[in-house]
Amino acid sequence: MRALGNRHLAWSLAFAVLAFLYLPLLVMAAFSFNDSSYTGLPFTGMTIHWYTDLIENGQIVDSIGASVYVALGVVALSTLFGLPAAIALDRYSFPFKEAFRRVVLLPIALPGVITGVSLLLFYMLIGIKLSLNTIILGQGTGLMCVTITEVFARLQQIGRNQEEAARNLGATEAEVFWRVILPNIRSALIGAALITFSVSFDEIAVTYLLTGRSNTLPMTIWSMLRRSATPEVNAVSTVVVVASIVLVVVGIRLARGSRAGRAEWSL
Amino acid sequence: MVNVMTAQTNSRNGLILWLAPPLLWFTVFMLVPYALLFYYSLGSVEYMTFKPGFSFANLGRVLTSAPYLAVLLKSFKLGVITAVGATIAAFPVAFCLAFHTTSRTTRTFVYFLVIVPWWASYLVKAYAWKTILGSNGLINSLLMSLHLINEPLTFFLYNQFSVALTLIYIFTPFAILSIYAQLERIPTNVIEGAKNLGATDFEVFRRVIVPLSLPGVVAGAVITFSLSFGDFVAPALVGGPDAVMISNIVVNLLGVAFDWPMAAAIGIVVIAFAMTLISVAQYLEHKAAVRF
Repeated sequence: MRALGNRHLAWSLAFAVLAFLYLPLLVMAAFSFNDSSYTGLPFTGMTIHWYTDLIENGQIVDSIGASVYVALGVVALSTLFGLPAAIALDRYSFPFKEAFRRVVLLPIALPGVITGVSLLLFYMLIGIKLSLNTIILGQGTGLMCVTITEVFARLQQIGRNQEEAARNLGATEAEVFWRVILPNIRSALIGAALITFSVSFDEIAVTYLLTGRSNTLPMTIWSMLRRSATPEVNAVSTVVVVASIVLVVVGIRLARGSRAGRAEWSL
Repeated sequence: MVNVMTAQTNSRNGLILWLAPPLLWFTVFMLVPYALLFYYSLGSVEYMTFKPGFSFANLGRVLTSAPYLAVLLKSFKLGVITAVGATIAAFPVAFCLAFHTTSRTTRTFVYFLVIVPWWASYLVKAYAWKTILGSNGLINSLLMSLHLINEPLTFFLYNQFSVALTLIYIFTPFAILSIYAQLERIPTNVIEGAKNLGATDFEVFRRVIVPLSLPGVVAGAVITFSLSFGDFVAPALVGGPDAVMISNIVVNLLGVAFDWPMAAAIGIVVIAFAMTLISVAQYLEHKAAVRF
């Protein structure tokens, strides 16, 4: 029996925490349908006014496009540079490896604002103008550790037997990578890409400092929040939450598919 | 002999192939910017323009003078409160997920319930608390409509309490995932063994489950601490003058005071602190690590 302790006590505590997690989101969703220009009780009627406003708000639509562009760029960079870093850390020993590992992991513990400030100084020195691309470079540096740690963990898990077998059977290094390593770490790469995408889509600190003329979605919401708290903010927030639910469902599906694949392999 | 040689050359070529791109990346986009940060921290500002220099005065001020040191300590305090609060809130849910879900469907569903608030927009979550705690917010409207109070209560919002509550709210799902990942790995026979040897459920919990959960607890708490330590959204949205944190100071120094050297000095101190934190975390995880 894995069950342990008082089932009712455990679940009531867990439900209390889940209620705590959902209360604010539900309040916000409820007020997004409230027919009043300020967020508060009492309810004055149902409306979808705030949602239609949203669709007509060109700024928001533009910034969603900008956020998708940035997030895709960050995912591409993280994969392109994070994957080799993970392979180097797992498969090879080299001088200053510990130092390299620390540097690579540092952005996890470092406030985004600090990453932002240091890159801002760098851009000023070499004279790059701030744009969505400078945001991509900044977020890429901050988020690469996600891909590195996820892929590194998977590489440690799968070990080297297959790789060595392939080599003994005469596979070249390129073949070993494409036909042995890559298929084995595919789901870790997809998982890392999903996490990186969602964190980038939501990122504020680095973006705040490195943003040029066009804004990402969080920056647009941020400026709306600071200007005034119209129920439009509730509406856009609710849309974002619903969109993230869809992404989570897709993500869980993908992860489950890969887990099944792995179980098959271990047989 | 020849074979060994080629294997070694191959391996060296492979290493260069894999290591060079990320090494170049981290040098250009991290180490060079950090070096710049250090260079700026040694200078000063006159008439809003940067003047190069070689003085450790700025770095010294971060560590000794009142506003900076006080804010660093406050950020540290709020980081610790958040990490502890999120761990306490997370444990029951992680525990139920690991030990009290009878079917796979229930487990996936509860897991899903945890992930959704984690993936929901950060700003939205901070803002949601504003709509609950504010003077026009849910709590005040409710209390006023019940005629329990005549004036909105203001002590819910714009202080350290609201910042801590918001940060705990934001990071609890993450702590749940981290602790659950560890609890899930505890083998059933360890628990059965303890029970067969006469341990009560509470003893199993206290002497088996809790110690074995520590790697997940530590990993989650370290990340929760560092993310909330450097947060600047929650203090800006739901915090007042009393809840200004270190990232807000940096942003203000850049945007309002144009004091780049001071901002850079804070950056250097925080980088050193984060480096220490990672080393401590690695040591702790190594110590708490268990192999099943």
